[in-house]
Amino acid sequence: MTPRLVVVEIEKFFSTRAWFWTALLLAVVAAGAVAVMGLAAPYSDPPLPGIDTDQGVRAAVGVTALLAAVPALVGVVGMTSEYQHQTITPAFLAVPRRSPVVVAKVVAYAVIGAGYGVVAAAMVAASLAGSALVLDVPLGAGAPEIAGMLLRVVMAMTVYTMIGVGVGALVRHQLTAIAVLGGALYFLDQVLLVVPGVNTVYPYLPGGATAALTNFTLLAEQAGSETGLAMPDLLSPGAGAAVLAGYALAAVAVAVVLPVRRDVV
Amino acid sequence: MERTGVTIRVEGLTKHFGKVAAVQDLSFTAGPGVITGFLGPNGSGKTTTLRCLLGLVRPTGGEAVIGGRPYARLADPLRTAGASLEASNFHPARSGRAHLRIQCRTAGIPQSRVDDVLELTGLTDAANRATRGYSLGMRQRLNLATALLGDPSVLVLDEPSNGLDPAGIAWLRGFLRRLADEGRTVLVSSHILSEVQQTVDRVVVVYRGRGVAEGTLGELDPEGEGLERVFLRLTSDTPAEPAARTSGREDR
Ligand SMILES: Nc1ncnc2c1ncn2[C@@H]1O[C@H](COP(=O)(O)OP(=O)(O)O)[C@@H](O)[C@H]1O
Ligand SMILES: [Mg+2]
Repeated sequence: MTPRLVVVEIEKFFSTRAWFWTALLLAVVAAGAVAVMGLAAPYSDPPLPGIDTDQGVRAAVGVTALLAAVPALVGVVGMTSEYQHQTITPAFLAVPRRSPVVVAKVVAYAVIGAGYGVVAAAMVAASLAGSALVLDVPLGAGAPEIAGMLLRVVMAMTVYTMIGVGVGALVRHQLTAIAVLGGALYFLDQVLLVVPGVNTVYPYLPGGATAALTNFTLLAEQAGSETGLAMPDLLSPGAGAAVLAGYALAAVAVAVVLPVRRDVV
Repeated sequence: MERTGVTIRVEGLTKHFGKVAAVQDLSFTAGPGVITGFLGPNGSGKTTTLRCLLGLVRPTGGEAVIGGRPYARLADPLRTAGASLEASNFHPARSGRAHLRIQCRTAGIPQSRVDDVLELTGLTDAANRATRGYSLGMRQRLNLATALLGDPSVLVLDEPSNGLDPAGIAWLRGFLRRLADEGRTVLVSSHILSEVQQTVDRVVVVYRGRGVAEGTLGELDPEGEGLERVFLRLTSDTPAEPAARTSGREDR
């Protein structure tokens, strides 16, 4: 890996304003989702666990892992815009072996994804603290425990960003890639969750693995209670992390192998 | 400036895109100190040839080398060969300067070259503006600036006069001449003979992916029938019409 090329990718990322708007979007939605979960829990029907319980805190933090779509999108755009604007051409002219460029891109976007994760985690922490203050209840989990949960959100966002880069390398056309990513992560996961027989694969999909990692079972439980289906057990957090790491590796393989082999026309 | 000349050599180059034979068994050379025009109508395989030469497209057969090596095996590619391809290889939201800075860093070239090439191509005043606001002519200049970053011995330019006004074409002519006089190898493609006629020393003419002529302008038109007519004859399927009828039609 060439550190110089990683710096170039970071420089490209900050050279337009998109990073600011996406980070802002993530921050606002993360803070908002947690506040809504926290403040509305006492009044919701069916009742949600309050943030003065361990489960309630876990649900509030777990919901933000769903926002990994935002950094995943950033990863998709980071890769596809190289093709859309043909900036991949000068990059490959400068480094005709190509793989150093794409490896640097994946490394840079892992760092960038972790950055988005940190932004989300900070907003979640602040929003949890604020909600507890407003409701005048103690949080149902201690600071180290919450920090551990937030770390998992950061991990999930890192991996989703890498998956985004991989999908971008695979599909190249920006809007198609966004549709593929959104469809795979949000539609397919949820649909498969409620198809009997097929839903046994859910724990191994990115969404299921993320739910395992963040110990966030709300979606599966709700799907179960609405459909009356037996829900597959989620993996253990460690196994969820391993599955996510597998997706990250697959994304890296796709992101490196395809651009290196294909013609740039 | 003293340069050791670097020669471009294309040998039996063939490229198929699926069923489309974009380039077929094409061979030619372009040497240092001269401007070689690479001529042919749209769709005749010029861009594909240049992309093969630059390692962007993998040939189906044959080879295209710079100083005896495929582009991908050059020790220091941007310092050996600079290229300008289609009119836009830049992110619309980045400034021309940011584009050049990024390219410098990618290639490990000192950032001081950015101001040098902006100056050379007359882009200094526009450098800090986003490229989405650039005219076609400014894009071509930014392409040239990018090609010159590594101060290369070889320049490969795909339709660099596309979108330039007559003043721009005149400027480009002088600019390329200076580069060639410095001992560089300059290969310039165009689909319009008249745009490069006064610029180039030699031409390679392609039609439907095949080489149909190569030589100096004088060698191409030994009878003095006019380059325009020679070019049209080489790049059409039907033999040229008798001179009288052609001129008759032009008189109307
Ligand atoms: N990526 C591609 N896929 C399929 N066909 C292509 C591709 N690129 C070029 N072609 C075809 O190859 C031929 C040569 O194209 P090109 O090299 O762009 O010609 P020129 O630059 O002389 O206009 C054309 O018929 C064109 O349609
Ligand atoms: Mg072309």
